[in-house]
Amino acid sequence: MNGAVPALHIDRLVKRYGDFTAVDGISFDVAEGEFFGLLGPNGAGKTTTINAIVGLAHITSGAISLFGYDTVRDWRTARRQVGLAPQEYNFDRYLNIRDVLIFQAGYYGIRGKAVERRADMLLERFDLASKAKLVYTKLSGGMKRRLTLARALIHEPRLVILDEPTAGVDVELRLELWSMLRELNTKGTTIILTTHYLEEAEELCDRIGIIQAGKLVALEATQKLIGDGSLQDVFLELTRR
Amino acid sequence: MIANAVGFETLVKREMVRTFSIINQVIWPPVIQTLLYVFVFGFGLGSRFNNNVNGVPYAQFLIPGLIMLQLIDQTYSESSSSVFQGRFMNSIQELLIAPLSAIEMVLGYVVAGVVRAIFIALLITGLGALLVHAYPTNWGLYLLTIVLVAVLFSSLGIIFGLMAEKFDHIAVLTTFFITPLVFVGGVFTSLQMLPPVLQKISLVNPMFYMIDVFRNSYIGTGDVSLWLSLSVVTLLAAAAFAVALALTAAGYKLRT
Repeated sequence: MNGAVPALHIDRLVKRYGDFTAVDGISFDVAEGEFFGLLGPNGAGKTTTINAIVGLAHITSGAISLFGYDTVRDWRTARRQVGLAPQEYNFDRYLNIRDVLIFQAGYYGIRGKAVERRADMLLERFDLASKAKLVYTKLSGGMKRRLTLARALIHEPRLVILDEPTAGVDVELRLELWSMLRELNTKGTTIILTTHYLEEAEELCDRIGIIQAGKLVALEATQKLIGDGSLQDVFLELTRR
Repeated sequence: MIANAVGFETLVKREMVRTFSIINQVIWPPVIQTLLYVFVFGFGLGSRFNNNVNGVPYAQFLIPGLIMLQLIDQTYSESSSSVFQGRFMNSIQELLIAPLSAIEMVLGYVVAGVVRAIFIALLITGLGALLVHAYPTNWGLYLLTIVLVAVLFSSLGIIFGLMAEKFDHIAVLTTFFITPLVFVGGVFTSLQMLPPVLQKISLVNPMFYMIDVFRNSYIGTGDVSLWLSLSVVTLLAAAAFAVALALTAAGYKLRT
């Protein structure tokens, strides 16, 4: 692998559900180390695109590769490169939150003292250490959100996909999460973020792609996309139906 | 076949954590129910059969059938509810996004089902030994039958856990097929105790072969040939496992 290989390469991705085309031939790359925003109105195809990247959705046509590994042909290696923080709290209800992290690492084929230390480090970093022995249902909404991020990071992925990571959290926690995400990105982790908070994308992302009705309608560096206006104006203009 | 051995082992371990966190649903009911069956049927009705069925006292005859009854029920219930609950809560996505293949996932659920089945069987076997002095005489056959039956019903559990749209759907197989077929499949009676017509009907009941081969491991004899019973159970287990694997590999109701 060399630096020229993109973290994510999507080539003419199509995803259909029966007669409905959720993703309609989109292509784009995300460079290694980039903080990339994937925006679009509800139902535009963002989550379907993410699901196709992580293997939760079958691809109708086209191709996706992660750090040069095809997600169908080299699926095992490709999946090891990526961590997903989904919007919903889909934790294992039978495990305490420390074990949620350790078992997730296990599914990725990693175990041992190093994983336990990393789980403890992540719990500490996300201010969850005192709750380590609790099941996730005992956590507050903000804590669950932080646990989602910690779980996505347990196997040390090179790319993290965050599906609305700050949905439903208060301003204080949102700022805290922004700080954590910036730190993560600074340390070299590539981040793909979907969000409905346009100021969040504007604040964090180097580049933004906007999807509307399954098509990529914009793909620019954040500042170039905004120009002299605001991201909200650009977004509304591009996604007006 | 298993490239991600750690992932597979983690899934087995996760299933065992689940089992022991709901021990009052999974482990104790089969033990308590067996105890009740032994008292009511074994001791209560045993004397009606002159205490001798297929050469052994009725209470001893009953024990292997009761073990099968509980194994079949618990193995199916646990794997189906685990898979369905994972789908319902979306926690199964933790497995689906990980580098785990379909065979590793299915084997994870099935091996956990086998471990759970052996644990429950040993508990009830201990109870049978204590209460009515019933012991397996062929431990190899005893273990083989438990493994085959657990593979069969864990696989069926996966299949129905994938197909179900609500918890109620999982109960369809138990209520309308498994429980009636097990009850008339020789748990409480030997084939020779039935009228000729029912004897013929029993021979098309797959549960009959599971119970017969397992009873063989206790009393050294069965109503039909050991090889016939073993063949039927092995074929059914292989078929159910293949279907569970095919559905999982296709991402049926798992991946969109």
